[in-house]
Amino acid sequence: MINDEKRCVITGLGMLCAIGNSVDECWENAVAGKSGIGHTTTVDTKDCYADYAGEVKCPDLDTPENEGIDRVTKLCMRATDEAMRDAGLKGFNGDGKAAVIMGSCVGGAVSIDSYYKDGKKNKNTVLQMPISAIASQVAKRIGAGGVVTNVGNACAAGTISIAYAADLIRSGKADVVVAGGSDAFSSVPYAGFISLHALSDNPCSPFNHSVGLNLGEGSAALIVESLAHAKARGAHIYCEVLGAGITSDAHHITAPRPDGEGQMCAIYRAMASAGVTEDEIKYINAHGTGTAKNDQAEFLSLHTIFDGKNSDLNVSSTKSMTGHCLGAAGAIEAVFAVKALTENTVPPTVGYTPEDIEALKAKAGDIDFTPNTAKKKPISAVMSNSFAFGGNNASIIFGKSPRETKKPAGTKDIHITGIGAVTPLGNGVGKYVENVNSDAHVTVDTLRSAVSSADYDALGLKMAFYRKLDRFSQLQAVSGMQALSDSEYTVTDDNAFDIGIIVGTSTGAVDPACDFEVMLAERGNAAGSAFKFPNTVYNAAGGYLSICSGIKGYNVTVTNGVQSGLFGLGYAVEVIRNGDADAMLACGTDSNSDIMDELAGCVGIVSDKVVAPYKGKDKKFTLSDGSVSLLVESGEKAKARGAKLYCRVTGFASATHGTALDTVEGSGEALDRAINGALSDAGLAVTDIDGIIGFGNGHADIDKVELESYKRVFGARLSDVPVISVKERLGECRAAGAALSAAHGALMLGGEIKTEKSAYKIGKKTEKTEVKCASLKKLLVTSYGLGGGYSAVVLEKE
Amino acid sequence: MDELKIKQGLKDFFCNNLGIEADQLEYDTPLFSDGIGLDSIDSLEIISYVDGEYGVSMTGVGKDHFYNINAIAAYIVANS
Repeated sequence: MINDEKRCVITGLGMLCAIGNSVDECWENAVAGKSGIGHTTTVDTKDCYADYAGEVKCPDLDTPENEGIDRVTKLCMRATDEAMRDAGLKGFNGDGKAAVIMGSCVGGAVSIDSYYKDGKKNKNTVLQMPISAIASQVAKRIGAGGVVTNVGNACAAGTISIAYAADLIRSGKADVVVAGGSDAFSSVPYAGFISLHALSDNPCSPFNHSVGLNLGEGSAALIVESLAHAKARGAHIYCEVLGAGITSDAHHITAPRPDGEGQMCAIYRAMASAGVTEDEIKYINAHGTGTAKNDQAEFLSLHTIFDGKNSDLNVSSTKSMTGHCLGAAGAIEAVFAVKALTENTVPPTVGYTPEDIEALKAKAGDIDFTPNTAKKKPISAVMSNSFAFGGNNASIIFGKSPRETKKPAGTKDIHITGIGAVTPLGNGVGKYVENVNSDAHVTVDTLRSAVSSADYDALGLKMAFYRKLDRFSQLQAVSGMQALSDSEYTVTDDNAFDIGIIVGTSTGAVDPACDFEVMLAERGNAAGSAFKFPNTVYNAAGGYLSICSGIKGYNVTVTNGVQSGLFGLGYAVEVIRNGDADAMLACGTDSNSDIMDELAGCVGIVSDKVVAPYKGKDKKFTLSDGSVSLLVESGEKAKARGAKLYCRVTGFASATHGTALDTVEGSGEALDRAINGALSDAGLAVTDIDGIIGFGNGHADIDKVELESYKRVFGARLSDVPVISVKERLGECRAAGAALSAAHGALMLGGEIKTEKSAYKIGKKTEKTEVKCASLKKLLVTSYGLGGGYSAVVLEKE
Repeated sequence: MDELKIKQGLKDFFCNNLGIEADQLEYDTPLFSDGIGLDSIDSLEIISYVDGEYGVSMTGVGKDHFYNINAIAAYIVANS
């Protein structure tokens, strides 16, 4: 018997896409086989060979209230509003167990377009660019006070968001989650797919004429809730979220593995997690993009798994009607899958001629690809698949009744066993310790990290691989491989699926997306670069790391501001606790460039001097960059291979108090909750904590929110708890700094850093102090995100 | 048409746009081998460059003509 807290149910649905502006309208059109794909009217198609797209036609999407907000968030807010109404929820009023997880591929690409084409070089346009703006604004609107993040795994983001939502509920970190995805049609993806020759010049025809895809746009939101929470408020229940599987191909940055290995592992993992067998899945909403490479690999995967084991399987691609909605696709298709389940009706794949149907019969075998006409039949469980750039695969299963999971049990005994660091002051954990010992600091001339061929050579990375990487991916590949090397961890055929990656990033691929857009603004949408386009997705860095390391397990990119690097560590720990991996690389990465400096200048919170934490009077910090990766591992596995153990990771929590996108003012209570939540997760009291690795960066408001929270949480004892900020030496290196804070704590507890000379004593006055690390046993690590999100992690000495 | 100039132009393009280190690329270096590691995405870029620079379409052209810089340059000279 599964208890009601561990059972995840869907209680509300909302969506809009090319075939409708509500769930009912979309479902009615999907079942009727009405396509929403037509000639695009919103993107310049001059000299481009294909102009079909599935665009949202929603006359009341723009309102006076949402003026200035990027289209991607407007779509998401509308889907969220519908889902909330459908679930009978009015708002969460700051509830710490109400979360928002939103997937996206290109985020505020419409704002990027207007910044370069319309010359709107203003602060608000820049703030709307990153993916993180989506969940942040949605959460503020509905008062979600718990975990708030975005998943940046391109075309698998929507599916991963729902899978993560269910995991948060099962682990007790949330009661109710608004999960889904959103993407708006815009020049960057359109020109990118044109450059790849991946668009069809006709309406797409997945599993039929697999000559290319049509892009779409839209958003879907699902209310994922614990059964206990849903019952308590008398909610209508659509179905159960039974389980999910997430893997990585470690093959190619845009193309799926032709043998379907990663896809099949994701599907098998989803079935084990859901506790269902092959014959119980009655409908699969396929990824089904309509490109030759996708359709061939997916066709092979589905036949390999289900042939001979399921004689009543329908598969369809609703992308034939909606277009490929990228980061929204998985969410939109999850809604279609839930509707198929609850209405006992399979929506069709459209676009088949009578000849096509004959040809399909010849190749489809036992699987019914549901051409043109919907099919009514009893359905007890459904699956939705999403496969993305970066080689990310995600499969999720919904059902009418609960099942016992068959996935392995996880562990709470989790250790940091490896550290990789790329910083403006040099690369490698040894170099970092050396910099701490010599108390080295960045100057205004040394704010950007760099990797050289010597770094690549040391890690065995070849030019044929690293030539493809942009700066973001370069920093990530090197720090990730360093962490594996530091831990002497060897990825083999036997363990490749048991190790995963979480990349946390604040601005992710905004830089390469802007670089791509500059080219389009100058030369038109036909002039996109196929070489550069793959780097415009946030999960490219995690994808490249998977390729060069051979890691084939869980692979997610999260983005919720500076805290992403620490949030990612907490997420990685949760993945091991949930039994989805034995080891995880938890990474924080952000990269700067002239483009990023210009954008940061627009926002007006970056100083042209080096600003020290906890001393600044201005509302500015010093912007730097880098990448830090931590290998976290189950104690059993780490000890079995004789790994060095830096420290244990015993607690994690994240909380949010929504503010405007460029501030944290007024959100400090959420930091209190994150700290108390992490302590509670670790089974500790505030009196147990010996020191804090904080997030002060010299911005007066950010530093104030942090220190005021510590005063509330720690009271008079705070003067005995030294506060350290890695930004003292390195500037605000954002997600890298957040991950580095945890690495710094691990190095203090592990004995590598013996004396910390740049600590602060917070009493009536804030004073510099020195910390002897040998006596430290338990450390708290904190971080923040603009928009009012916080993460806290507890580290304990071995 | 100066074939040597074409080769130098191709090499510059590979180094500036496809991330190849100049000291690892000679005119006879195999491009789609492990060392340089070009793939289908890079061939789209080469086709686009050759078309834009020399007005020669290499869409659908056999692999042999992409073997190395010499082969691409020879194809451009023969078809321009």
